[in-house]
Amino acid sequence: MFGLGQKRRERPAEPLAPAGAAAERAADAAPAQDHQRLLQRWMALADMQQRVIATLAAEIARTSDFVETEADSLSLRFQRLADSAQKQTSRVDSLTDLAMGIEVEGESVRIEAVAKLFEGTLSEVVAKILLLSKDSMSMVYALDTLGASVQNVGQCNTAIDVINSTLNMLALNARIEGERAGAAGAAFRVVANEVYELSKTVKTLAATMKTEIKAITDGIMTSHDTLKRVATVDLSDNIMVKERLEVLLKALVVRNSGLEVVVADAVRESEAISADVTGMVTGIQFQDRTKQRLEHVVDTLQVIGKALEEIRSSTTREVPELAAATETDLGWIKDLLSRYTMSDMRERFVAQILEGKPVDWGDASAGEGTPSSSGSMELF
Amino acid sequence: MNFDFTGNDATVAMSGDFTFTDHAAFLELMNRLFATASVPIVIDLAKVEFIDSAGLGMLLIARDEASKASRQLTLRGPQGQVKRMFAVTRFETLFAIES
Repeated sequence: MFGLGQKRRERPAEPLAPAGAAAERAADAAPAQDHQRLLQRWMALADMQQRVIATLAAEIARTSDFVETEADSLSLRFQRLADSAQKQTSRVDSLTDLAMGIEVEGESVRIEAVAKLFEGTLSEVVAKILLLSKDSMSMVYALDTLGASVQNVGQCNTAIDVINSTLNMLALNARIEGERAGAAGAAFRVVANEVYELSKTVKTLAATMKTEIKAITDGIMTSHDTLKRVATVDLSDNIMVKERLEVLLKALVVRNSGLEVVVADAVRESEAISADVTGMVTGIQFQDRTKQRLEHVVDTLQVIGKALEEIRSSTTREVPELAAATETDLGWIKDLLSRYTMSDMRERFVAQILEGKPVDWGDASAGEGTPSSSGSMELF
Repeated sequence: MNFDFTGNDATVAMSGDFTFTDHAAFLELMNRLFATASVPIVIDLAKVEFIDSAGLGMLLIARDEASKASRQLTLRGPQGQVKRMFAVTRFETLFAIES
């Protein structure tokens, strides 16, 4: 791991015939040198680990900030979405009222009530048409009867004319007989004159009656004709309009019922969406906990980094030769960085870990989440 | 409008159109129907093809007369336009109607 074993040097082969103290010292010094080299590598590794820890801590802090910013933005958008969903629910809710009825003089009237009112009114109209038709026909029959009676009176008038004519002839004959009788016929002449006067009066009366009866007959005929025109106004089409309107009103009520169902479904769906969005707003608050956890991780990494620095410093102080420059084992670092798919993150790690440069974070969000075009940037 | 009496003159079968112009004939028809003994009166409308509002009015007069004479008046077998007119005017609430 970490390539520590890869750099282990092969121990020199044992001389075939070691001779003397020099040879023994040389033999004792060889393991010490190996240990020193090993410790130097540990020191180099500690230094590298410190850089990695610092870089990781910075990366985590940066990622935490990014998550927080994005989560806040997302939360704000979801909040707006929740508000819109709430308003949409209210609108759909008000649509229910519109679907259920119409507003008349500030009062909501259900479509069923409107249809019932229409139906009731039309029934009344039809009932009145029927009553009008019946009364018209009753009057027609009454006028027919009256006309027949007047006709009978006219016939009586004819009989009166006949009687009057006879009476007139009677008066004339009495007058002739009175004249023929001379003085003795004076009384006859008086009676004849009276009868004649009576005949004239009856004739005048009969003429007046005839005139009046003609006027009555003319009036009846005119009334009959007028009533006929009224009675023959066929209202059957108007009556049948009720049938058509009833069909239309039923269709309207059915459509309204369907609309109510659809709107009720829409209200339910809208409320569900509103609840879901509200839940999302609550759920998006995870970044608070995430940030706290990441802060703990960063804190832990920094403590580890300090511990490493402390042990490295104390080691350098106590054993300065161990701080001598040694070749840093970059194999495992290269392996690690080659796995990074995000170019900006890889660049920051190269700058800070390998080159020891301070990292310019630049725009916190720039490049986040943008995968590198693998292969287009060769760092090593 | 034409009509034929059956059943001791208590049943009459009308045919053709029943409109205002038939009012005199209908009066004659009624007089003949109500002149019968006290049996239910039936007006068969199965062959009446059209009725106007005056025709409906005459039937209502017949109903009033039947009521005055305490006679039962039944309208039988309305078809087509006559049946629809009866339905719209809810004649079934005013008359005994046989299919």
